[in-house]
Amino acid sequence: MSGLYVRWGAVAVVAVLLVLLAYRHYERNVASLTPEEVLAERPDRVVRMTGLVRGGTLRGDLAVGRVRFDLAGQRETLSIHYQGPSQENLRELKTLVLVGRWDPAARIFQAHDIASVSNYGFVFGAYLVGLVPLAFFLFTMERKVGLLYNEIKGSKLYEPEWLDDVVTR
Amino acid sequence: MIFFNVIRVVAWKDLLCEMRSRETISSMFFFALIVILVFSFSFSMDQQAARELIAGILWVAFAFTGIIGLGKSFSAELQNDCLEYLQMSPAPKGAIYLGKVAANLLFIVTAEVILFPMFVIFFNLDVVEDLPVLLLIFFLATLGLSTVGTLFSAMTVQIRAREVMLPILLLPLAVPVMIAAVEATRGALNGNPLALYRHWIELLVVFDVVFTVVSFWVVELILDS
Amino acid sequence: MLNTIIRKLQRYKGWFGAAGGLCLGLGLYYGLVASPPDYYQGEVVRIMYVHVPLAHTSLLAYTVLFLGSLWYLWTRDPVVDNLCHAAAGLSVFFTAVALITGSIWAKPTWNTWWTWDARLVSFAVLFLILAGYLMLRTFIDDPEREARYAAVLAIVGFIDLPIVHFSVEWWRTLHQPLSISMRGVSISKEILIPLVLMGIGFSILFVYMLIVRTQMLYLSSLLNAKKGRLLSQVHLAKVEP
Repeated sequence: MSGLYVRWGAVAVVAVLLVLLAYRHYERNVASLTPEEVLAERPDRVVRMTGLVRGGTLRGDLAVGRVRFDLAGQRETLSIHYQGPSQENLRELKTLVLVGRWDPAARIFQAHDIASVSNYGFVFGAYLVGLVPLAFFLFTMERKVGLLYNEIKGSKLYEPEWLDDVVTR
Repeated sequence: MIFFNVIRVVAWKDLLCEMRSRETISSMFFFALIVILVFSFSFSMDQQAARELIAGILWVAFAFTGIIGLGKSFSAELQNDCLEYLQMSPAPKGAIYLGKVAANLLFIVTAEVILFPMFVIFFNLDVVEDLPVLLLIFFLATLGLSTVGTLFSAMTVQIRAREVMLPILLLPLAVPVMIAAVEATRGALNGNPLALYRHWIELLVVFDVVFTVVSFWVVELILDS
Repeated sequence: MLNTIIRKLQRYKGWFGAAGGLCLGLGLYYGLVASPPDYYQGEVVRIMYVHVPLAHTSLLAYTVLFLGSLWYLWTRDPVVDNLCHAAAGLSVFFTAVALITGSIWAKPTWNTWWTWDARLVSFAVLFLILAGYLMLRTFIDDPEREARYAAVLAIVGFIDLPIVHFSVEWWRTLHQPLSISMRGVSISKEILIPLVLMGIGFSILFVYMLIVRTQMLYLSSLLNAKKGRLLSQVHLAKVEP
């Protein structure tokens, strides 16, 4: 029985490590700031920012990949200079994730890439539903096997001769 | 020859019991009548809506009515341990099964034929020209329900909670029958040309053939003392 | 013969568990990190790597249940019956999880939790048949009769499944075409690697779970026999030597 708990403890530790790794990946590559947060925190590194492209503000040549527009958050609106690969989903009134750097002096967000908006909640939920009950189910089964085995070894209630053959096989 | 004699004798026995007691048919009839009433309370229907919904209501009523009849078919054998004698008799089990299927088919189709005019009256339907096709659909779908249902009736009568288990086992397996019966009946009631819903009737035939053969093959394992 | 196989499998079952876990780990890495998001569906496409293998595993489990039921009727070996019972329990579990993950996937892609699509309905019917199978087993006292009836139900249900699928497919496609079909989408290598890895991982893990669950059910019937339940003793006396 103790072997079972050790084994499943190891599985649990690995699972926790994986979740931590996934969380780091999420922080670095998936999580994004809103325009309000960018204004408040003034990050001096490459960040990801989510917002809505305001209607009527998109200017520049999309084919060349040099565009200016305004990105609206809940309250604040920032002006964006985008210079990067031409993107089809850069359209007005569309929610986007911009990858770039905030220039506090010019109050301009210099973006160099556009990522699609990700709804990781569904993905996370599906993997949670898929894997956690599976592990729990398996754990209870293995535990039950151990308990039953101990109980059978310990029980001296009634034993016809042929049952010994069955048990020892 | 013994084989067909057994079928005939078993079916005749059930028929005789039914003619003397009239338990199954009358309980099925009144149950279905109540189902019709409940449905007409639940939906307020004009004739247009009735045409869309009536096939579904019809088959819900028929399916639950059929389950009552199927359940009684074997639970009646429990009195005086008749089931034991059926299982111990040297007659081929497949023949006993087919006799039961024949009796159930007859009861349920009779109930349907009595009930259908009431549907026609209550829901203002116009069915005269499609009556033969409708009767064919009733027959084929009821045969599908009876083959699987008689098998499960024989199975559930020998276990605990038999009244609950029969519909739980039967209805998921009868999903194709229900879909095909509802779609074909709707086609016929709407006066569509036969070509538009012929494939549903073919599906019913396929289901009937497959499950008559399969049930006939496995029933020995169930009617085994 | 089966007992020899099961005993061999039991001795090496740890390797199955480890191999399944390893495949799943690799599949998770490829599915969640290495593979790119889909052009149309975005990140949500990653749900496919857990949903589709789960659905396939549940069908695999039902196939094992069907073959095991035939085998039981052939040999009447109680261990084979335990195997069938185990496969049915696992199949119910995998079907339920596949339905739930499918529902989660449907929400962002089809914008609904549930649609009466042919495959969804077939799986729901499969779930109901298997749940009926497990219920039937709890309502019978005699283990030998329980095994026999359950085997019959499994065989009849398995034969019914293709008919259910065809009927539901006709029923839906005649009414309205499917809004999004997976057919016609060519599957590229980046998608295929995690899909295959997860599929293999779940299948191996299924074998492992099957062994453990068969063992569990066998031991509990053994315990019943030891406690002096006469019917269980009579049933177990037929164990193939």
